[in-house]
Amino acid sequence: NVSQGCQGGCATCSDYNGCLSCKPRLFFVLERIGMKQIGVCLSSCPSGYYGTRYPDINKCAKCKADCDTCFTRNFCTKCKSGFYLYSGKCLEKCPGGLEANNHTMECTSIVH
Amino acid sequence: GRSAAQKAVIRVIPLKVEPILLEGEFADVAEVTPAEGKLLQSHPLSLCNTSEDEHPESGFITIVKLEQPDRDPNPCLSLANKAKLAGERGARAILFDITDDESAADQLRKPRGLSQPVVLIRGHDAELLMGVVNKNREAHVKIEVKEPPAWPDYD
Repeated sequence: NVSQGCQGGCATCSDYNGCLSCKPRLFFVLERIGMKQIGVCLSSCPSGYYGTRYPDINKCAKCKADCDTCFTRNFCTKCKSGFYLYSGKCLEKCPGGLEANNHTMECTSIVH
Repeated sequence: GRSAAQKAVIRVIPLKVEPILLEGEFADVAEVTPAEGKLLQSHPLSLCNTSEDEHPESGFITIVKLEQPDRDPNPCLSLANKAKLAGERGARAILFDITDDESAADQLRKPRGLSQPVVLIRGHDAELLMGVVNKNREAHVKIEVKEPPAWPDYD
């Protein structure tokens, strides 16, 4: 049952599990499709995830719960609805001296 | 010598299709107890502490197709701990297809008292089960303890 030709960016794969490992630089992601769960290899992580490189595998990990897209777990680039982005963090209220921009959903300096 | 492993009857009930009756064996790492739930496949690499894929709601029975050992030279967890993790994530039972990794049977022989049963399946029975998975047809699974044959009366 070991596939002769692997799909996409797999380095090794099998019929039932899909990718088991990825070609260099690609990210290993688990995808659930109904009852099945297979491994896939992507050049970048899906939205809501960030890439982490390990010696034997590159993986995608989830951004924080209040964050939609992020560089790393602690550096958000777009917050979920209801939160304002400030220095890579998602805040319910902007700190003093800053104002909440409801258009960009960011905390910005107050313009006098 | 080692007592024969307790046999398991695995009833696979796909939606709108005839049920399939398969046989497996309970692994001593866990309790020998019946279980039932919705069948879900888990990729072997999903049962790692670092894995952050979407966890399904609890109450399912997971099937893990084990690959040849040389294809995963540095497993993230032992099979016993993978079974434990699956249970912690809501699996009511864990089925391991060990067709390509017979060493799994030895790895799962040492009792650990895991509360969710662990059942090993191989060969033709495993092929039939993985056929259901491959068709991605929703299925319910019932795992029962196979009763030993009644001794004939010689009165």
